[in-house]
Amino acid sequence: MVEREPIIRIQNVSKSFGRVRALRNVSLDIYPREVVVIIGPSGSGKSTLLRCINRLESYEQGDIWVDGIHLSHKATDINKVRAEVGMVFQQFNLFPNLTAIENVMLAQRVVRKRPYAECERIAREQLEKVGIPEKADVYTAKLSGGQQQRVAIARALAMNPKIMLFDEPTSALDPEMIKEVLDVMLNLAKEGMTMAVVTHEMGFARAAADRVVFMDKGEKLEETTPSDLFTNPSHERLKLFLSKIL
Amino acid sequence: MASDVHPQTGGETRRWLDIRPLARNLVQRQSWFIAFILLDLLIIRAIQTDPILIETWDYIQIGISVTIQITIVAFLLAIVIGIITAFGRISKNIIIYNVSTLYVELFRGLPLLVIILIFAFVVTPGVVDWISGSDSTGQATGLPFLDDFIQRLIGIPEEDVATTALRSRDIDPLWRIMFAFALTYGAFMSEVFRAGIESIGRGQMEAARSLGMTYFQAMRYVILPQAIRNVLPALANNFVFLLKDTSLASVVAVSEISYLTRQYSSNRFRYPEGLLVLSFIYANLTIILSMGAYYLETRLHADRRES
Repeated sequence: MVEREPIIRIQNVSKSFGRVRALRNVSLDIYPREVVVIIGPSGSGKSTLLRCINRLESYEQGDIWVDGIHLSHKATDINKVRAEVGMVFQQFNLFPNLTAIENVMLAQRVVRKRPYAECERIAREQLEKVGIPEKADVYTAKLSGGQQQRVAIARALAMNPKIMLFDEPTSALDPEMIKEVLDVMLNLAKEGMTMAVVTHEMGFARAAADRVVFMDKGEKLEETTPSDLFTNPSHERLKLFLSKIL
Repeated sequence: MASDVHPQTGGETRRWLDIRPLARNLVQRQSWFIAFILLDLLIIRAIQTDPILIETWDYIQIGISVTIQITIVAFLLAIVIGIITAFGRISKNIIIYNVSTLYVELFRGLPLLVIILIFAFVVTPGVVDWISGSDSTGQATGLPFLDDFIQRLIGIPEEDVATTALRSRDIDPLWRIMFAFALTYGAFMSEVFRAGIESIGRGQMEAARSLGMTYFQAMRYVILPQAIRNVLPALANNFVFLLKDTSLASVVAVSEISYLTRQYSSNRFRYPEGLLVLSFIYANLTIILSMGAYYLETRLHADRRES
């Protein structure tokens, strides 16, 4: 393997919610153009870990570097980091007072300060890319769950992020809509986007992941390739988890 | 669109002929309005023909612009005060939080009538004394710059501005009570705005921040537009209350419609006529206001409209 610098470096991060230890000493490196899938039972801290990467969640101990920027350093402008890190949420979190295209344009205008025409052009490109250009002028409440999540992906991509974080992007979707979102994510992976994905979709892990991380009770228990994960899971708790979901 | 096809008549061709839904809506939902309009027309006719009512109307009608002026200026001030205070009430800064909470509780706790009297007879003279200095006969000694500025603002002749001090009787009662209304309604409306901001799910703020927006950008572009839209009915309610509460300004002799009605009615001993005209004016002002608010609400909720 070629020697590379990781674009995301998580070192010994710990966090607790009151008495509950959400993360215990978690370390993880993610390299450019890599797709890392994080799996684990609910409450295992996988979403929390993802949200620490753009500091939507703070952490008490440890360090995180994103693209060389130290997140817990005082002089770090977190907004600059977040603009480079796209995030897709389980509940979509689209802005309901705006149409699909306005959703994709807003942050470009406000954060990137791009001229209006450019925002619109990029927004249309991104909506085209996620396969719903015809829904540009529709308010988000009128879209199906799958369409909403694809707009959310377009909204994040329009900022030209270096990294994309997916926090259970298909968990709130009806079964027949999961595929349309996963297809968009697979394409993104093929294009070489750096992605960290929390999901229960083992099919996606098998098809797109370079590495799979298994977490339980705030600890990283296993870090392996997808083929190893399914053929010879080493950890007892991982075996139990896989036996329940497969 | 498939829904355009009428299920009973089976085609689009006869749809425009079918006024039954319209008529049903009119009777079931708008009868109150039709009744109101009919009553209104009756009173308008009386005011135009009856000589006593003509005189009553001419006397009171002068105050309408004052009533509207107090309402609109105080409401706009209250919105600004309300939004700023709402941010104070959700602030994590303990000083800002406690100061804004004290303000809200104080102004919500005192009757508006009392606040009006305090502003007219305590606060205004106090502030004027502070600006002009204790010796208010000649040159201002307190804050000469502000003194001159306010004197110019209220129209003291330019040649006198430098040599005289501001006197509290120079301040129009209208402006004395404007801040009483604005601060009282600002306190009420800060609670409305706070509830509105808190009604927007955490996910909206997180999504906005995850895109790199600052806290204030997220508030300005994502949270507040939705929050204000959600609290519009409550704001409209406050507007109507404020409009009606301007009648309290009559206690400090502001010549709005209630004051003029009392003056007219007691002078001529014509209470029924005066109160009829007064009620007529208030009812029409509030109805127009409510309809405006309803229109604004449907416009702002574009995403909930059927497309």
